[in-house]
Amino acid sequence: MIALNSVIKKFDTVTAVDNITYRIEKGEYFALLGPNGAGKTTVVRMLLGFIKPTSGSIAIDGIPVSDPEARKRVGYLAEHHMIPSYLSGLEYLRRHASLMGLVGKYALLEVDRLLEVVSMKGREKEKSAAYSKGMKQRIGLAAALLGQPKLLILDEPVTGLDPIGIRDVRNILEGLRDDGVTVFLNSHFLSEVEKTCRTLAIMNNGKILVKDSIRSIIEDDETLEDVFIKYTQKGK
Amino acid sequence: MNRFLKITGYTIRDQMRHKSFYVLLGLCLLFVLMIRGCYSGQYVVNGKPLDNITVAWHVSKIVFQVIASGMFLIVILLSMKIFSRDHEDGSLVLFLSRPVFRQQYILGRIAGTWFLCLVFMFILHATIFLTVWVKTGTIIPGYLTASLVCSINLLFIAVLVCFLSLYLPDFMSAVFTVGILFVGYISDGGYQILNSEILKTAVPSASPPALWRIIYPKVYMVQAYADSIIGQSSFNNMGPIHPILNVLFFIVLITTLMLVVFNKKEI
Repeated sequence: MIALNSVIKKFDTVTAVDNITYRIEKGEYFALLGPNGAGKTTVVRMLLGFIKPTSGSIAIDGIPVSDPEARKRVGYLAEHHMIPSYLSGLEYLRRHASLMGLVGKYALLEVDRLLEVVSMKGREKEKSAAYSKGMKQRIGLAAALLGQPKLLILDEPVTGLDPIGIRDVRNILEGLRDDGVTVFLNSHFLSEVEKTCRTLAIMNNGKILVKDSIRSIIEDDETLEDVFIKYTQKGK
Repeated sequence: MNRFLKITGYTIRDQMRHKSFYVLLGLCLLFVLMIRGCYSGQYVVNGKPLDNITVAWHVSKIVFQVIASGMFLIVILLSMKIFSRDHEDGSLVLFLSRPVFRQQYILGRIAGTWFLCLVFMFILHATIFLTVWVKTGTIIPGYLTASLVCSINLLFIAVLVCFLSLYLPDFMSAVFTVGILFVGYISDGGYQILNSEILKTAVPSASPPALWRIIYPKVYMVQAYADSIIGQSSFNNMGPIHPILNVLFFIVLITTLMLVVFNKKEI
């Protein structure tokens, strides 16, 4: 589904991503973990074609990410999801649907369904300027789920959400996992990752330190937090 | 193509959501309505009363140029914030996280802004055209055609401001654009004055213009050409290339550069 091949990204003299190669298979529920500045968001931005790798290649479903067709069945939720203040949640979602090629009654029904899913029904006609951070995040999640994506790229999806929102998002994501949707999760919420993800990679200083199934990485008497600290603090 | 048209449509709607758009539209309409009084006044030149048609003719030509030049300011104001605003409010991510080519995004944003300004200017010119028709019963031939000709300038300015805003802060890109237009006005305006019938007899051997003046974007010359369409008079071109072709060349050149630069831009 996702293939990163010898990817290097440099910003001037700083190497944000240092020669990483890995594959994420179809239906995999994958989490990318790492401390701040590890290079996780850079990877996400490269996956979406927002920035280009200095060298190496990235493809989604065999299509290079430089080709917008690669994003045809990809949903994306940014960490601090922004919605133009002059748009309502409904207008925002309809705009997304239209750009994805969803038209007519199907688009309207799909938007309506997702507003229910993210518990924003009844507030969808308000301008987004009136939305809280958590409400924007919910609308962003609905946008990411439009058009039944094959791949979901979620950058800190529960940021700004209250405990109920976090539980709702977890339930939605678990449902998607069971439906075979590939999920690429970039998160700091280790407890959430531990509950939902099947495979993970830990990244630090632009390098992938470990990538495997959660069961293989975490030993019996450990938590994910212990593993995370063990790998990221190595050599300090 | 489909997504380009969608983004063009969104741009028109987005621009029309801003209060500043209506303030500008209101001010322009107020100006045009105030001009109405000029068509019904009594004018005397050298002791001879002027008929309404002559007055309407001259006033309309002046107002045409005032509107066409005033629109420069409006198109600059609407274009200069396109990219920075889209970056700040999440619109850029909205578009580019979907299967949208960066070219479609850029061209859609510019086309939408240009089309809005084109319609805006056409409405103002059409208002003058209709006012003259109603007040004097005279139709000014070529007035609306000239308006469409001048819309090429608006596209050039929109493209130029957007291109500069990729490198400069919004305000500075606006200032630089005004500067570029100003130099062209001085250069081409001077040429037009020196080649007017009156000055030609007084200064018969004016030296040919320098090469840079011939190549420089001919925004003023397009307006002078539009003026010649209204007046059905001869047009003094500078150099062998028609000003419309000159401006179109710069539009294509700057747009191509912008697409190349934006394609490499990190979001």
